[in-house]
Amino acid sequence: MTTTADVSPVRIEAAQCRTAFGDADATCAALVAGERALQPRPVLGSQGGDPVPLALAPGRSLDETAPPNWISVVKALAAEIPPAAWGSARYPVFVTSSNFGVGSLYAFQRTQVTEHLQYGTPFATVEFLRQQLGWGTNVAVLSHACVSAHLGLMCATRALQAGFADRALVFSFDFLSPFVTGGFHALKILNAGFPAPYAARETGSIGLGDGAAFAVLGRATGSAPGGAFTIAAQSLHNEMHHFTANRADGAGFSACLAPLVTAAAGRRLWVKGHGTGTIEAGRLEAETLASLFPKAPLVSWKGSLGHTLGSCGLVELAIVLAALRAGRAPGTVGATAPFFADTVAAESFSTAGFDSVLLTSNAFGGAHAACLLRHG
Amino acid sequence: MVERYLQAIHCEQPGLEEPAATRERLRDAFPKGATRRMTQLGLLLGSVLNKLSPGEDDTLVYASVYAESRALEEYLVSFPSASPTLFQTSIHPSAVQQAMIARQQPVRHFFPHTGRAQLVAHAVQSALLAFTPRSILCGGEERGTWLRERGAASDSSFAFALALSSDSTGALAKLSLAPTDRDEGELTLGEFFAALTERRPLNQSAAPGLWLTLNWQ
Repeated sequence: MTTTADVSPVRIEAAQCRTAFGDADATCAALVAGERALQPRPVLGSQGGDPVPLALAPGRSLDETAPPNWISVVKALAAEIPPAAWGSARYPVFVTSSNFGVGSLYAFQRTQVTEHLQYGTPFATVEFLRQQLGWGTNVAVLSHACVSAHLGLMCATRALQAGFADRALVFSFDFLSPFVTGGFHALKILNAGFPAPYAARETGSIGLGDGAAFAVLGRATGSAPGGAFTIAAQSLHNEMHHFTANRADGAGFSACLAPLVTAAAGRRLWVKGHGTGTIEAGRLEAETLASLFPKAPLVSWKGSLGHTLGSCGLVELAIVLAALRAGRAPGTVGATAPFFADTVAAESFSTAGFDSVLLTSNAFGGAHAACLLRHG
Repeated sequence: MVERYLQAIHCEQPGLEEPAATRERLRDAFPKGATRRMTQLGLLLGSVLNKLSPGEDDTLVYASVYAESRALEEYLVSFPSASPTLFQTSIHPSAVQQAMIARQQPVRHFFPHTGRAQLVAHAVQSALLAFTPRSILCGGEERGTWLRERGAASDSSFAFALALSSDSTGALAKLSLAPTDRDEGELTLGEFFAALTERRPLNQSAAPGLWLTLNWQ
């Protein structure tokens, strides 16, 4: 069995995100202040339904428009991407999302306005993005629910290491629509309750949020300069046990995370976990992390931002970088003790004394992804 | 340049076969009771994947433009009482997950791709850059209904699965990808599938920067 992580390091040249709070610095500051972006909103937007915790980008409605109302958020984010011939032969783009523009198909089904169909399929959404952002056609598209962004990072890393790219842009986005809020509500994990990641309580609940982010990756050369951020190792595992449940013994979490123990040996790290607010997955994740990385404080920010789905890995990476620049990591907003593990950090803490961060995401099908970020 | 040898290939090309007929035809390929909630694409992909016995140490790469068209259509019309089963089934990469969950077969590396004109190039790139001894490249579509009439679902059903390794012994073909400075290129999933079923060679720019070659032995 392959039990090693991908250990080809890549340098993060730039990263940025958009959440309900704004960019990475604004989001980090709001999280450190303990603010919660999630607000109760009707699950089907203007069509009503139960109030559920959602965190939409400023000024955005859950109801889809044509063209999609999220494009202004994406364009503002993309304006911060360092210039390059993105989408050309040597500068590939890796776009990742769980839902792309599927909210437009929901809008079409509800309104029969055919203009929505222009944005409904993954390729149509990416083509719209590509034209709006001026990219060439060298755009790889990956979709694996809530680990999508991590796959983009890994594929970009491999393309760089194999000499297929000089630099790579990973771009990830997921904007909420009744398609996805209705689905999670039907699964009963999006309900009236607010998420409390890793809290040992009886009923689980998640919140959902808009998210978009990018990272520009380049080959790591020699020793990293001071202040540089490097993805030192990456790991994946897919349980394929059940669509929406993990193996009860936590084997899937261990299979993904154990290979990173070696890569993290001797490092002083904290963990940005997945932590959506569900009970069983939260317990398995917290217990496994505490077992493998017993000295590493664990935080999740989905109790404030909601789960930004396929974009969460990259959105939270950009927030981690903002936290490292600011010198303070946000705590697990929205959750209070008792926790599933004593490593869970409810409050913000100084990042001084740490030199690495472990970032994890999970998804449907028992998919697990993690990467080790090295800095300083 | 990166390359691997094609050691096995399995294809499904059911034409206009309806999902119920596909389920009946392929039911013996799956554990008892497993097919009840599987989509047509899940059945087709599962059928070709099962023949390769995917294991935990394989790298699994999946390519589909539209993926679960029927489940997506049915989920959309289930509103305002959204169906939880159709929701999870409609999400990419459900078809492969259906097949692998039926087998209770974990896999470490799984790269589900989508897209259109450059989809094949990038999926092949993921398969050829795999660190594992064997990579399995699979793909497919299922024919939609009302979304197909609107250009938002596939107009055909098919599936394929290729076993790729660095061992040339007994290989059926060699699949390679080389960097190129060309800033154009495309190869659709349908064109790639046709080349596979007709044992036709390929030698072309399949995406900007990616020159794809398929040589049959």
